[in-house]
Amino acid sequence: MKRYLPLIILAILAVLPVIGLSTYMMHILILVIMWSVIGMSWNLLGGYCGQVSFGHAAYFGVGAYTAGVLYSKFDLSPWWGLPLCVVVVALFSLVLGFIVLRLRGPFFALATLASGEVMRITAENWVDFTGGTMGILIQRRTWVEKTWYFYIILIIAALTFFMIKKLVESKLGYYFVAIREDQDAAESLGINTTLYKTIALCISGVITGIAGAFYTNYMGYIDPHVVFALHDISIITIMIVMVGGVATFWGPYVGALIMVLLAEYIRSIPGLGAAHQTFFGILLIVIIIFLPNGIVGDFQKLKRLVGLRRASG
Amino acid sequence: MKRLSLVMVFCFLAGLFTTPLFAADNFELSIPLPLTGGQAKFGEMEKKSYEIAAEEINAAGGIKGKKVVLSFEDSQGKPEISRAIAEKLIDVKKQPLIVGDYSSSSSKAIAAVAEERKTPYLVVTGAADDITQQNYKYVFRLNPSTAYYSSGLMSFMNEVVKPKTIAILYESSDFGTSGAKDMETQAAKVGMKVLVSEKYEKGAVDFKPILSKVKAAQPDVIYMVSYVMDASLLMKQIKELRIDTKLFAGGAAGFAIPEFIDNAKDAAEYVVTSSLWCTMATYPGAKEYGEKYKKLYGDFPSYHGAEAYSALYIVKDVLTRAKSWTPEDIRTAMKATDMMTAFGPIKFEDRDGYQNQNFMDTLVLQVINGEHHCIWPEKYASKKYMYPIPKWRDRK
Repeated sequence: MKRYLPLIILAILAVLPVIGLSTYMMHILILVIMWSVIGMSWNLLGGYCGQVSFGHAAYFGVGAYTAGVLYSKFDLSPWWGLPLCVVVVALFSLVLGFIVLRLRGPFFALATLASGEVMRITAENWVDFTGGTMGILIQRRTWVEKTWYFYIILIIAALTFFMIKKLVESKLGYYFVAIREDQDAAESLGINTTLYKTIALCISGVITGIAGAFYTNYMGYIDPHVVFALHDISIITIMIVMVGGVATFWGPYVGALIMVLLAEYIRSIPGLGAAHQTFFGILLIVIIIFLPNGIVGDFQKLKRLVGLRRASG
Repeated sequence: MKRLSLVMVFCFLAGLFTTPLFAADNFELSIPLPLTGGQAKFGEMEKKSYEIAAEEINAAGGIKGKKVVLSFEDSQGKPEISRAIAEKLIDVKKQPLIVGDYSSSSSKAIAAVAEERKTPYLVVTGAADDITQQNYKYVFRLNPSTAYYSSGLMSFMNEVVKPKTIAILYESSDFGTSGAKDMETQAAKVGMKVLVSEKYEKGAVDFKPILSKVKAAQPDVIYMVSYVMDASLLMKQIKELRIDTKLFAGGAAGFAIPEFIDNAKDAAEYVVTSSLWCTMATYPGAKEYGEKYKKLYGDFPSYHGAEAYSALYIVKDVLTRAKSWTPEDIRTAMKATDMMTAFGPIKFEDRDGYQNQNFMDTLVLQVINGEHHCIWPEKYASKKYMYPIPKWRDRK
């Protein structure tokens, strides 16, 4: 049963558009899936390989701009950005990895944080190429209907899920975990830590980049403040994984569900007004205090808590 | 803890399922606005202004007898949330038109959805030029785009000051850079020579090195694009250095708000600035709105508030004229809009590469006796402009 769970969930998601959800629900679902893709990619680098990145907006933005620039400068469909950004973001991650992966722990985190900001400022000032703060607007989006966008992002998510699952269960995955647990010990055992960290960074970056390219196609408008945002992209990515569960397969999904769907519901509660952020913040604090390994990571604990309530109630 | 979490879950569910019940003769309008995050200051001001307008409209009998009931959705300044709100308003709430949001990027996200779903959208503050350059049929904009922000000041300079040279000082942000670039092209167009064009870091405390350079160049006009602290500091140091020119001009923002005069004191005297609106403007209702806002919230609103306030009056006008309240008829009525509001005359036109854009004169304000007065264009002036301005040593 457990073995087939991913396939069952995939099948359920695949029939969702057929039952006729409103476009509003579809939009939220698309965002949930897009964020879970970004969460999964972060989880590979941050969760399994232990390299906590505060700069995933850099990859997201480079992916988004690959699609955007193809459209604005080369008159191609921005959908070509999806395959092309694999190459572009991989090269970008190699260059960036060469610099930031020499650093460890908090220094790595700070360097990645800076890299995201550097990319934002670059995109703002490189006006001839990126359009600067005016951004890139795609005049006609491919479809008005959301069904196709939904399936495309669903396929991306499914492929990412299975790829990361395979990767983590392979020898490579053990190398990643070894690096996370003790980088010096891993090195003394003959693991080329720089190489494997670079591999993790590249894969993670490329997946995030694909999500970015999808964002351009789906939203039809990008500017540096939107796609290279420190808070709205980099930090939210980390929150998704933290809330869902670091180094778990399902964590990013649960995290994205909470960070997007639940956030949207709380935002929509009439009468709560601007206080919804406070309310949501308290919810997050409660989750992090009582379930430090995230909802998936502390699922047993969560079950116990709920069970206790039932027993006493 | 258990009980607490139970209570929380209960509150949450209660919140979800208790949608307030309204009487059928209400017109409900949900407005997306950034109520949290970095743009919340402007979102709040707009929210208050919408509320003032709704109250006035309801007191006067509502729209076609229906009471206006406003609600606000927090878009947090994020385009994807703005889009979610737009989808919800169209799909779930079946709202026949959309009004609002603050930033250009959020307005663009909503505009694309509105066009695809054939629902009229009234842009209230998004100023990026390209929002109304996409051949959108359902997107209307009441505020002038950034390219027109300094047009009033330019016409004042051309007709009154007739300067030959100009020095431009601006802060290093997009707002500052685009304002300065715009002024450079405008100056080139009328044959004005740019002697100095200097960028400074926002929040600097000593402008004297830059200002000495300006003094040496002896320009006819000094044009500055800054926020409030820099604006007043610049003018104070200009006074200290006794730099005399024909005109000191500011590009809206920091120069156009009352804090500028409070901080710069007498150094602010005679400084002119471009602005989209001011409470002193002679548009009908502008002063009343400004004073009502000040009475309620303790400060005069900036043009953002006036835009929001007027937006609701446009909605009222459009809905009164529309044959039926379907998106199609509302669009037709919107297109035919020709009215006066507290923000100025509103008419949606297709020209100069724009569609459904409201073109209007931007104003020029001058500080006269420690107060901002509207001096240009002359038909809206609340006071005659003071020109030529006295040299520093002749001032008391």
